[in-house]
Amino acid sequence: MSDRVGAGVPGPKRAVSVSGVTKVFNQGRPDEVTALSDVDLSVGDGEFVSLIGPSGCGKSTLLRLIADLIPPTRGTVTVAGEPAETARRKQGYGIAFQQAGLFEWRTVLRNVELPLELRGMSRSDRRDRARQMLTLVGLEDFTSHYPGQLSGGMQQRVAIARALAVSPPLLLMDEPFGALDEMTRERLQAELLGICAKTGAATVFVTHSISEAVFLSNRVMVMSPRPGRITAEIRVDLGERTEATRQADSYFEAITSVRRALRSGNTPAPAAP
Amino acid sequence: MKRVLFALAALAASMVLWEAYKAVGNPDGTVLFGTRVLPRADDLSMPHVWDVVSRLSRPELTGGRPVWIVVLQACAFTLGITTVGFAAGALIGLLLAVAMQRFRLVERGLLPYVILSQTVPLVALAPLVAGWSGNLSIGGLPWPDWMTVAVIAAYLAFFPVAVGMLRGLQSPQASGVELMRSYAAGWWRTLVKLRLPAALPYLFPALRLAGAAAVVGAVVGEISTGTRGGIGRLVIEYSREATSDPAKVYTAMLGAALLGLVVAGLVSLLEVPLMRHRRRVEVATL
Repeated sequence: MSDRVGAGVPGPKRAVSVSGVTKVFNQGRPDEVTALSDVDLSVGDGEFVSLIGPSGCGKSTLLRLIADLIPPTRGTVTVAGEPAETARRKQGYGIAFQQAGLFEWRTVLRNVELPLELRGMSRSDRRDRARQMLTLVGLEDFTSHYPGQLSGGMQQRVAIARALAVSPPLLLMDEPFGALDEMTRERLQAELLGICAKTGAATVFVTHSISEAVFLSNRVMVMSPRPGRITAEIRVDLGERTEATRQADSYFEAITSVRRALRSGNTPAPAAP
Repeated sequence: MKRVLFALAALAASMVLWEAYKAVGNPDGTVLFGTRVLPRADDLSMPHVWDVVSRLSRPELTGGRPVWIVVLQACAFTLGITTVGFAAGALIGLLLAVAMQRFRLVERGLLPYVILSQTVPLVALAPLVAGWSGNLSIGGLPWPDWMTVAVIAAYLAFFPVAVGMLRGLQSPQASGVELMRSYAAGWWRTLVKLRLPAALPYLFPALRLAGAAAVVGAVVGEISTGTRGGIGRLVIEYSREATSDPAKVYTAMLGAALLGLVVAGLVSLLEVPLMRHRRRVEVATL
């Protein structure tokens, strides 16, 4: 653990830099909530960082601040050295949510084409690109299916392909595997790591699952609620992830230290499972 | 195919019911505590089904054209008016819905009046519209009567479209809206790529209601403005002869029912190419 929690990795280029960010919802009203309080976070290029914590700790809020879906109350957010809004306007990141959120009136291929379409890419170019992305997630045979005809796991893969379509240097994922069964989940985790290695994208990944965070990440940021803040940073060094990693001692050690950090950061221990 | 069979079966069942009531019902109707609870079953009030059908083939007046041609022509005339009113009403409803979705203030300010507009009785409204349009002219040409009727039809038709479409435009989940925001898509592109397609399952039931409303508006509009040539006028004309020729007024009513079915069918046809692969939503538009 570093001295200043969340201060991040050294290095000239940072995919994400969040400093001194506070987010207050409904400011000045009786139902005012401080969702995040003075949060610092830095994500290096190509780094995989997970945000983990109990419900209400502000991990999704932090992700949405990076995505410039909501503005911070105080503090600054930069993505690839630029203000978050500029990055959003340039489609500087790809995003995936817990709900795949596919447009059911579009075929799988046309769903993946959507961000490219909005970029003004020509029809044939974006078709090729979307096909490539679908091949990457193993859905090349389902391009003309409609989302309603796919399983939840397949839909989520389409959402990931869509997030990757513009080759963003940054991937933002908000519990993308949260609604999936354990088997599908593990397979998609391995696929996601492969994709990130191939594309070199930095990733900020929000999850509830300790094992998922440890398996995927270079660093796990542990958060606690009321007000939401980062309470611990755990570096995970497991080398190349394979199926054997899930049995490795170092994997279980990392899980234990994340679990311990979650407990100590959230005293009194939450009743939530 | 199955639906056609069901529709035919329902038609046959209602005819059987009609004749059965005629056979067992009291010819003078059933009166309970001074209130007639069941209608008269005599031939004057309820002519036999076959009388109505055979009346269709006989001439309207001695030596005139057969009734079925007159009724069909009247239906075609009213169908034209209905189409114009429906198209105008649907367009206005769409624009209102988009404006209400775009500006919350417009929704708050306008929606109560949109709902209020439908509580004004049509029979009170129609002469008013007729009065206004009597003073109007389009580029020197006089305002034709049928346009007045089309306005009344549009007045009824815009409502379900405005309300249904508003719900449809508001139907996308927050994640879809956020996704569009993450793509730096503005309001217009979010409307075109997300809200309009998402609204289609809400739009079509609303259009069906609007079609039915436009037929009612056109028929009632014709009656209260005294516009000649349509099925509404024909119902009034034939009902004056109800005592001497009871089957005749029912032929006009059959025509009006046919008109409603044709309009409903045409609206459903609009839906076919757009709604493949789409979920159906249950929509209650008030």
